[in-house]
Amino acid sequence: MAVGVRPSVKPSELPSDVVNTPIRKQVTDLDHGGGDTGAMQAFASLRDVNVVLDGPVGCHVMPAVAVINYTDSIPYLQNVTCSELSENEVTITGTLPALKEKVARASVEGRQVIIVSTPVSELIGGAWTTIDEDVKGSALFFDAHALDDDEWKARDRALLFLWEHRAHFVRPADAPAVPKTKPRVHLIGPTYGCFNSYSDLAEIERLIRGIGADVGLVYPFKAASWETADLADGDALVVLYKEFGISLAREVGLPVFHAPFGLEETTTFLRGLGETLGLREQAAAFIAAEKKSTLAAWKDIWNSTHSDFFANAPIAIVAPPTYKDGLERYLGGELGLPIAFSAYRTGPESAPSDAVRAALADASPSPMLVLGSINERMIVAQERMPSRFMQVSFPGAVVRRATGTPFVGYAGAVWLLQVVCETLFDVLFANLPTSKAPPVRADVTTRQILSAAPQAQTDTGKGQNAVVTWTDEAKAQAERVTKRVPFFVRVSVNKKLRAESEKLARERRTDVDLAIVDEITARFSP
Amino acid sequence: MSKQPSSMCPAFGAVRNLLRMEDAVPIVISSGDGCLYGHTFVAHFYVANRPIRSPGVSSEIWAKGSMFDELRAMVHDIAEKHSPAIIPICSLCVSDTVGLPFDLLPKQVGATEVIYVPLPAYSVHTHARAKDIVVDSLVWRLPPQRKQRSGVNLIGEIFPSDPIVLDGVLRRIGSHVNTTVPGPRWADYVAMVDGALNAPLHPFYSESVKRMKMKQGLPFVEGAPVGIAGTEKWIVDVGAALALDETRVRMVAREEKARVEAAISEYPLDGLTVMVAGYEGHEFLLVRLLLEAGAKVPFLSTAVNANPLAREEEAWLAAHGCTVLYGANFDDEIGALTNHPYDLVIGTTPLCAHAKELGIPSIYYTNAIATRSLMLAEGATAVLQLVTQTHRAKERYDKVARFFADDEDAPARTYTSWAAPAIDLTTHLQANGAL
Repeated sequence: MAVGVRPSVKPSELPSDVVNTPIRKQVTDLDHGGGDTGAMQAFASLRDVNVVLDGPVGCHVMPAVAVINYTDSIPYLQNVTCSELSENEVTITGTLPALKEKVARASVEGRQVIIVSTPVSELIGGAWTTIDEDVKGSALFFDAHALDDDEWKARDRALLFLWEHRAHFVRPADAPAVPKTKPRVHLIGPTYGCFNSYSDLAEIERLIRGIGADVGLVYPFKAASWETADLADGDALVVLYKEFGISLAREVGLPVFHAPFGLEETTTFLRGLGETLGLREQAAAFIAAEKKSTLAAWKDIWNSTHSDFFANAPIAIVAPPTYKDGLERYLGGELGLPIAFSAYRTGPESAPSDAVRAALADASPSPMLVLGSINERMIVAQERMPSRFMQVSFPGAVVRRATGTPFVGYAGAVWLLQVVCETLFDVLFANLPTSKAPPVRADVTTRQILSAAPQAQTDTGKGQNAVVTWTDEAKAQAERVTKRVPFFVRVSVNKKLRAESEKLARERRTDVDLAIVDEITARFSP
Repeated sequence: MSKQPSSMCPAFGAVRNLLRMEDAVPIVISSGDGCLYGHTFVAHFYVANRPIRSPGVSSEIWAKGSMFDELRAMVHDIAEKHSPAIIPICSLCVSDTVGLPFDLLPKQVGATEVIYVPLPAYSVHTHARAKDIVVDSLVWRLPPQRKQRSGVNLIGEIFPSDPIVLDGVLRRIGSHVNTTVPGPRWADYVAMVDGALNAPLHPFYSESVKRMKMKQGLPFVEGAPVGIAGTEKWIVDVGAALALDETRVRMVAREEKARVEAAISEYPLDGLTVMVAGYEGHEFLLVRLLLEAGAKVPFLSTAVNANPLAREEEAWLAAHGCTVLYGANFDDEIGALTNHPYDLVIGTTPLCAHAKELGIPSIYYTNAIATRSLMLAEGATAVLQLVTQTHRAKERYDKVARFFADDEDAPARTYTSWAAPAIDLTTHLQANGAL
């Protein structure tokens, strides 16, 4: 069977400057979806769209049932179906007849059907090239480049595709006109499958309204396909992510802002937006009011002893570009947490798994907090790192539907600051002495101890009170273990390591050797 | 809107069992990043925190055919670095359609067996079938059966402690569990050459059973020790197949049957109508328990296809008022659901989501049922307890459904707002051509 391959496309000819994650020869623990997944997530976000994936049942169930349940906590996407290719389609008929039937079923009154290719349909020469008019009807075809593009690039292309087809979408006769009384800001992004997007979106909307502007379209997440053309009817755009949406924003042609991380960026964002929208004074007033409300918590935490630990609490960040850079600028740049290691896990400069593993495992001290996906979570567990973990990226099952966990804006700055402090306390708790056993009973009197101590000899020829000897290897290992934990709990860790190791050595009547240190370390590792 | 069974990507059934093996390093030849991303998600959620490896794929790589060289290099790398017992090569949709020359891969590298597992999801169709393919691919690699053999080879994914409990029962009749596949180690499969009897516990290992029959020359006992009648029959059948002492076998069978009966009597489900839709094969056994506990299960909707191994089980269910719908699909399940006030639904994620909208207590099969034992008295208790507890929470489900209805006082359709059953279920299914 001939393999359908698109002619090579030079980067300069691409419709956007959004670049793919490189295709590697070998992949371990993939960290991004493919073109079909990204495109489906973008199109399905529109409330009047039915998506038909041109592929076998797994290409539907994986992204639209299994994955969506762990990214967006949605049981399954009701507006996505697939052509359910089986051997018959793959080997004999091609995808057209199966697709026809599905498109017909999806073409419900008032719904716009968009067909998305998958690796299988692209491979066997999907029907989109030869599609006949009776199948097509009002349906649109999107070539997802499923074999080549990552989810981010696919989202970017999908949004641009919608803009290019904006004349195709029919505005319902009864759609009310929205009178424009205030400056209007449209948002581009998120789609389904964007980490923490519900909270981040809520915060950006709050900021825009805060300075006296209207939130226009939240595209595509709260929009209909026929509203696409309305994107032009605004005064500014906020593109939430670096990874996608910029190509659409350029075509729309309005001033563009990106979602801000931390106090400084948010302030700049609000001032800039205020300036552009002619709301300079309102923006200034909002910033002033925020300092006394949302940010009062930030100021109080900052002024507390909590922040004294920051300079000695290294963190690691592994995420797609928007979050990796944003978190690094805020947590590293503004709060002053040392960045032990940071890397992109998706995008053109993404670091492969083994490089991330080596960097995390070798870091000394280990990062107090590792921000990443389940891939990093596994590394922390497998390498027995003393670090705490927080999810800031997919993949990895997580629920982020409550809107109280923003990363962006003023509210995001407060939330992240709170998380960092909580982690500090958590690490502290884990390393303080704790025991559920009752206090040790005194079996002998002080007098008995005093009279027995100097004489009693053990098998090793030492007195009972003699210092237990540590072998050189044991000492080196103990030092290494101690250095791995954050500075502010080293005292506790070192104390515990010494006490427990020597106790064991006494019981075994040996020196503290490497085996004992390892055994004790293993006992205390998370 | 589905003509095919509502199943997870079928290949995952196989990937899951292979990734769980401690001494296997599977290579999953993905169809693209979307495909691998999905498998990564579900594998890390359901299976293990172990790396998932794939050769990189793109249209250019497929066209050049360079992927096969990379695959071969990967196989050698992994074998040299980790020396696992086996490297299963899971070939998904695209690689199987392109048709890579898997025959050119070495069968062995050092001590490592390299085993090709064909999993084009578009023709595998179900999870269950994919599991069957794994067992088949691995067992086919085994040497011939040894002359000296004893004990029972259990075939089927069961609860971890099931083999221990079954071993206890088998020892009382003069045999034992020899091994269980799918198991966590290659040695579990290799041990099959020492067994004297094969017992496929789920009704879908039809392909592997067919080929084992060609190769091994062992007797087979079908069915599983689940429920009152099932437990007794299985023990008696095993005894007969191994020519064990009949009096003793009958006695143990009666004792175990009585234990199951006692366990089931603790959870009377009389008067409850339960909808069961599954895709693991496991659901046949579950329905048995529900029926014996007194519930009505008008039909069993299963993604599994009709096959010889399921025939006996199907007959038993039919005799107890339950029709088996093979290769069932989501549309029919939803249709049946919206027209009948079930007391409880056990099914797939989408089906359960719909049921919960209607205020019907429901249990997602994979997460809650498939993680429990079904065997003997312990299994009956484990499952019926969950069913009873879930059903008891019906007020809570109903409250939520009413709260989210347009009119809380007069919800269009929730469990408690229903009058008597409006439509006979089978009529509806017949109208849809499902029966």
